[in-house]
Amino acid sequence: MLSLLLAAGGLGAQTPPQFPPGTLSQLQVAQPAVDLTSPVTASAEFDPPVVGAGKKTFYRVTLDATESSFAWPAKIPVPAGLQFGVPAHGQLTQMQGPKYRPLTAFAYEVQTTATGHFTVPGFSVDVAGQTVAIPAAELEVVAVNSNLPPARRLVLETSATNLFPGQPFLIRVLLPAGPSNEIEVLREIQLSGNGLMIDKTASRQAIEATSINGQLRQAYISELRVTPLTAGPLTIAAQGFTAGREITGPISIRGQVSIPGGPARYVLLTSDPVSIQVRPLPVESEPKGFTGAIGRFYCDPPNLSADRMRVGEPVQLKLTFHGEGELAKLVPPVAPRSREWQIIADPPPATSFTLIPLTDEVRTTPAIPFSYFDPLTAKYVDLTTPPIPVTVVGDGLPVQLPAADEGAATTAPLKLSGLAPGPGKTAVSLKPLQLHGWFVAVQLVPVIGFLALWRWDRRRRFLEAHPDLVRRRQARRALRREKRHLQRAVAGGDTAAFQQHAAAALRIAVAPHYPANPQALVGGDVLQQLTETERNGEPGEIVRHIFAAADRQFALTAPAPADWLALHDRVLALLCRLEAKL
Amino acid sequence: MKLRHLLLFAALCISVGSGHAATNDAFAQGLELSLAGRFPEAAAAFASAVKQQPSAGALVNLGNVEWQRGHAGAAILAWEQAQWLDPYDARAGANLKFARQVTQVDEPSLRWFEAASTWLPPNAWVWLAGASLWLAVGGLVLPGVFRRQKTGWQQTLTALAAGLFLFSLTANVGVVSRTQIGFVLGKNTPLRLTPTRESELISTLTSGEPARLLRTRGNYVFIHTGLGTGWVERAQLGLICPE
Repeated sequence: MLSLLLAAGGLGAQTPPQFPPGTLSQLQVAQPAVDLTSPVTASAEFDPPVVGAGKKTFYRVTLDATESSFAWPAKIPVPAGLQFGVPAHGQLTQMQGPKYRPLTAFAYEVQTTATGHFTVPGFSVDVAGQTVAIPAAELEVVAVNSNLPPARRLVLETSATNLFPGQPFLIRVLLPAGPSNEIEVLREIQLSGNGLMIDKTASRQAIEATSINGQLRQAYISELRVTPLTAGPLTIAAQGFTAGREITGPISIRGQVSIPGGPARYVLLTSDPVSIQVRPLPVESEPKGFTGAIGRFYCDPPNLSADRMRVGEPVQLKLTFHGEGELAKLVPPVAPRSREWQIIADPPPATSFTLIPLTDEVRTTPAIPFSYFDPLTAKYVDLTTPPIPVTVVGDGLPVQLPAADEGAATTAPLKLSGLAPGPGKTAVSLKPLQLHGWFVAVQLVPVIGFLALWRWDRRRRFLEAHPDLVRRRQARRALRREKRHLQRAVAGGDTAAFQQHAAAALRIAVAPHYPANPQALVGGDVLQQLTETERNGEPGEIVRHIFAAADRQFALTAPAPADWLALHDRVLALLCRLEAKL
Repeated sequence: MKLRHLLLFAALCISVGSGHAATNDAFAQGLELSLAGRFPEAAAAFASAVKQQPSAGALVNLGNVEWQRGHAGAAILAWEQAQWLDPYDARAGANLKFARQVTQVDEPSLRWFEAASTWLPPNAWVWLAGASLWLAVGGLVLPGVFRRQKTGWQQTLTALAAGLFLFSLTANVGVVSRTQIGFVLGKNTPLRLTPTRESELISTLTSGEPARLLRTRGNYVFIHTGLGTGWVERAQLGLICPE
């Protein structure tokens, strides 16, 4: 696009746009000029110039200059007996011949306290480097009971005096008809007072009969919509210039009135101040979604453009509000933040939203929080738009590809496979065993087995090199077995078994010393393993008796006497001595 | 004592059996939901089945429903995980080829030992390494211990086991190395110069782009991709072998 523009306009510097003659610039030139060169004139007067004592009048100074072109003195020479209030001041432009002429007026509300003749002396004001003389003004204060007309002033009425910040209300500025029912309109109406927002687009003007101080009188009425912005007591006063019949904008006129002809006489009038109380909103209970709406509102059921959508597809959520508050000034609900929806609030005053689902996991639209403050009940009311069920489907990847040309043969399949009917191959975890610490421990199990095997082989080789150790161990094991048999023979009173096991035990106990098979040994072989003392003593005698009895039993020549069992202890002692040598 | 052991064994069997039953329930539920076109719920069911017990079938189906939802990255990750469990799963392999044909993203580039490790499931390699090692050791040691003559076939078997052990060692290294491979999950995932949200953008990664995890810092991971090396948010990278 840029290249096209460059090509169209060439590569030279940008040239300003050329407007055809006779359009906007000419329209601006055709406007009347503002006359700032003519000498500035000033006038000063009391309105009314004759007033009863204790009544109020106005000291008004008018200059045909802009307000910004001079500095009005903070103090003016005030005669004793008069109390001057804070001045009201305003400015307008008036048509004088072919030119506009600025007009600035200062109006002091003057309280009289005593009768007499009062003069405010003249003084001078520097207007854009030119000294302008303000003439003297005279006031006659007469007795209280004089039947004099009161000072002309505006009347200010408010639709409510107990409000909340943000709650709009109506202010009516009235200019009552004159003595002969003459009506003048007002220009440059201004309200004084901090923390007020005046909606001039919602103003209305009319000439009609209205009740003023209990009397039905014709009056010019300017109705303004005002919104207090801050909490606390507020004092409002109105001011405006009378403008004769210079009616700007639409106006409704009811009843019979007389509108004066001729050029307008611009007089700055003010009203008495009116106090209103603005209570603060309860901040502690301010609900979510409160955008400052004050009044009484209702919301129709939300309207969603579609309840089935794809991910990324925008849908429109329309909210329609009705109510008694100022709908034109309603700040629409703020788009909430959501991870699942992109929510775009349409530009105010529209109260609709563009919703874009970011995932297909959402089942409802997001709730749109909104609440308003009802000044009648002094409570917040929740008007949150509830979630609306929706169906969101994925943004759809293709599950099938078109068949490729023969020249572009590919090995990739042309469509997505079907679902697996069963779980198939399973695992405890996707984390491989290599990363599990316990698996290293499992690898130690074969190591332990091989170590045990090596130890067993080493022991076996040692025993092969030392066979006497095996024989002695076998002899000790057999000896323990024969001792148990002896015990049983004694317990059973079996003399023959006692003799047989005693002889076998003696043979086993000495067999490793030869080495020889125990069955091959005789009593002499046992005696040889005894010391000389033992051989000739009681142990030798026991060995000989046992083997002799065993020989007799073997030959079946005589049964063993029963008192053989009494030798049990001595046989055991002998066996213990022989076992100790193993 | 024996009774107590029996009860313990029975409780173990019941718990394992109930786990399998729950997995199968979630799998069956996922199948039903998929056939009904309720893909988000089906994805949740298959993900539940995978969480209880990873299986190739559940991962293949999870990939299919994620693809139907338009989540190409999650689908490719699920199919890669199915192939991780079962390298010869035909559905996973075919779907991966199809997805890469559609999305025009590359396969992860594997080094030779990583490529070798794809021939068998990861756990098979480690068991193979252990078995071949001890077979080789046994072939060397046991004939001497049992005073048997070493025969020709025994020596051949020992040599084969030793060779297999050495090869499986490299494959195991490949398995461990492949655990750092992941896939970009989100569309247009920003690859940043530093691990901050405000960091300069290096490139934008497409969904399903393979990446290799180099290190982690906070909520960001430092990855190497075909488009460069940089940081992405941790949630935007799905590893084959989640931590």
